[in-house]
Amino acid sequence: MTGGYQAVLDAVTRVRGVRGAMLVAGDDGLVVAESLMEGVKGNAVAALAASLAKRFRRASEAAHCGQPRFLHLQASEGTLLAAPAPSGMLLVVVADADVNVGLARLEMLKAAEAVA
Amino acid sequence: MADDVRAMSAELARDPASLVFLRLGEALRLRGQVEAAAKVALAGLEHHPNVADAHDLYARVLADAGDLDGAADEWNIALSLEPRHAGAHKGLGFVNFQRGDLDAALDHLELALAADPKDPAVVRALATVREAARQAAERPAAEGASGGAATGVFAGLEGAEDRLLLVDPRGRVLGGGLRTRKGDDVAEEVAAYLAGVSQEADRTARLLELGEWRWILAEGEAGHLHLSVPAAGTLLLLVRDRAVPSGRLAILAARAAEVARRWLQAQSL
Amino acid sequence: MSQTRAVEPWALEPLKRFVAESGARLALLTTPAGQVIAQHGFTRAVDVMSAAALGAAIAASTAEIVRLLEEPAFRALAHQGYEHGVFLSRFETPRGPMLALVVYGTDSSIGLVQLFFEELVRELVAACPAPAPPRPVLAADFERDLNDSLAALFGR
Repeated sequence: MTGGYQAVLDAVTRVRGVRGAMLVAGDDGLVVAESLMEGVKGNAVAALAASLAKRFRRASEAAHCGQPRFLHLQASEGTLLAAPAPSGMLLVVVADADVNVGLARLEMLKAAEAVA
Repeated sequence: MADDVRAMSAELARDPASLVFLRLGEALRLRGQVEAAAKVALAGLEHHPNVADAHDLYARVLADAGDLDGAADEWNIALSLEPRHAGAHKGLGFVNFQRGDLDAALDHLELALAADPKDPAVVRALATVREAARQAAERPAAEGASGGAATGVFAGLEGAEDRLLLVDPRGRVLGGGLRTRKGDDVAEEVAAYLAGVSQEADRTARLLELGEWRWILAEGEAGHLHLSVPAAGTLLLLVRDRAVPSGRLAILAARAAEVARRWLQAQSL
Repeated sequence: MSQTRAVEPWALEPLKRFVAESGARLALLTTPAGQVIAQHGFTRAVDVMSAAALGAAIAASTAEIVRLLEEPAFRALAHQGYEHGVFLSRFETPRGPMLALVVYGTDSSIGLVQLFFEELVRELVAACPAPAPPRPVLAADFERDLNDSLAALFGR
C-alpha cells in the first residue's frame, strides 16, 4: 500500500467505533488499499459495498437525484458508509452501529477529496 | 408590545443561542409579521433542532403563510421529539380538519386535550370537529365513499403523491408516488431499481454480519434519498431536496414509515 | 426451465448458488482437458463445447507462462470488457484440478465473482465424491460419454 493511501485511511479509522476503512475500485469491487481490524473480511466488504453503491446510484439517478456523494447503510449491529472519490474509487467504512456518523462522514469526505 | 419585541431582539442579538427566539417569533407572528417570524424561527432551529417548541413555532408560522404541508411536517417532527406536545397535536388537528380528515383531526385534538385539559381553544375545536364528524356520518354512504385525495397511503404528509414511494421487494409500486421537478413520473422505474438495492442490502448486512439492515440514506448531487423497511415485505423511499439535513430526513422517514404501517395494517384487515 | 445443468450431479447445487449470488450470466465447470462437468446459461451445445475447449487452451497456455516465470501455479485470469467480464480459474478438488469459466455483465463485478467463487470452490470440494478407479478408455465409451454429457447438459 502506498503511504499516501495509508495516511488517508488512518485518519478515518481514528474515529471511535470505526472497524475498518478501505479504498475500493468502484466498478470492480476489488480492494485497492485497506486498514481493517481483525475479523473484517476486506474482499467481501469491497465487493458488496461497491455493488450496493452501484445499485443505489442507479436508483438515485432514476429519481433525478444525481450520483450519491455519501451512502449510509444502518443495520442493527453495524454501519456501512461509502463515499465515492472523484478518481472512481470508493472509500468504504465498516463501523459499529452507534458510531458518530457525523464525524466519520466529515473524515470520509476529506479523505475522498485527498485520493482524487 | 413593540418594546417587548425590541427587548427580545436585543437579547437574541447578544446571545443567538438564547431560547428567547420562541417568544420573539410568536410575538412577531401575532403581529402579522410572518416573514420576520419565519426568519426568527429558522435561526432558532439552527441552534435548537431538537427543541419541540421550536418546530411548533415554525409550524404555526408556516400555517399562517398557508403552507399546511410544511406546517404538518414541522408538527410531526415536534411530536417525534416530544410525543405529548399539546401544540403539535392541536396544530395537526387543525391541519387534518382543513384537509377533511376528521378522524385524524379528532385523534390529535383529543391528545391535545389530554396533554392540556384546560386549553379552551382545544375544547372549542373538539366541539366543532365532533359536530362536523356527526354530520358527515349522517350523509349517505355513497357520498362519503367518493372521498378523494385523502385516501392515499401518505395523505397528510408532505410529498405524499410525488416524493414518498411504497414498494414491494419485487419492485412493484404499492402506494405514494415519485415525480421529477419537471413532473415526470419515475415511480415505476425507481421502484424496479429499489428491488435490487434491497436485495443487495440484505446480502451485504448478512455476509458482513451487520445484523438486520434498517435504512439506507444517500446524499445525492441533486437530492437526498432515504430507503427503509416500514414493515416486512415493503420498502419506503423518501426523496427530499438536498437542503434538508440528513437528521431531519430520518425523522420525516420515521413518520412516513409509521403512516405506511398503519395503511398496510388497514389493508390486511 | 432451469438454465443450470450438470453432468456430475454433485456440482449442480453449488453452481446454482454461485450463479444466483454472483450474478454470472454464463458459467462453465470443466476438467483441464475441457470435459464439461456443469454449465449455466449456454443454450447451444456447440457454444458450450467451444467455450470448454477455449477455456482449457487458455488455462494450458497460461500455465506454461507461469511455469516459465517459476511461479507455483496458475490460479485465475480476468478480462474486463465494456459490457462483459470474463473470469477463468483453476482449482483443486478430490478428483483433481478443475477449471471454471465465468462470464458476467455490468450488473455484477469481478469483486463479486471472486468473492462467491471462493465459496463455490469450498462447496464443490465438499460435495465432490472420491475419485473413480481408472478404467481403460475405449472409442465407443468416449462417444457414449460425450452423448451422455450433451444429454445431461441440454436435456435432449
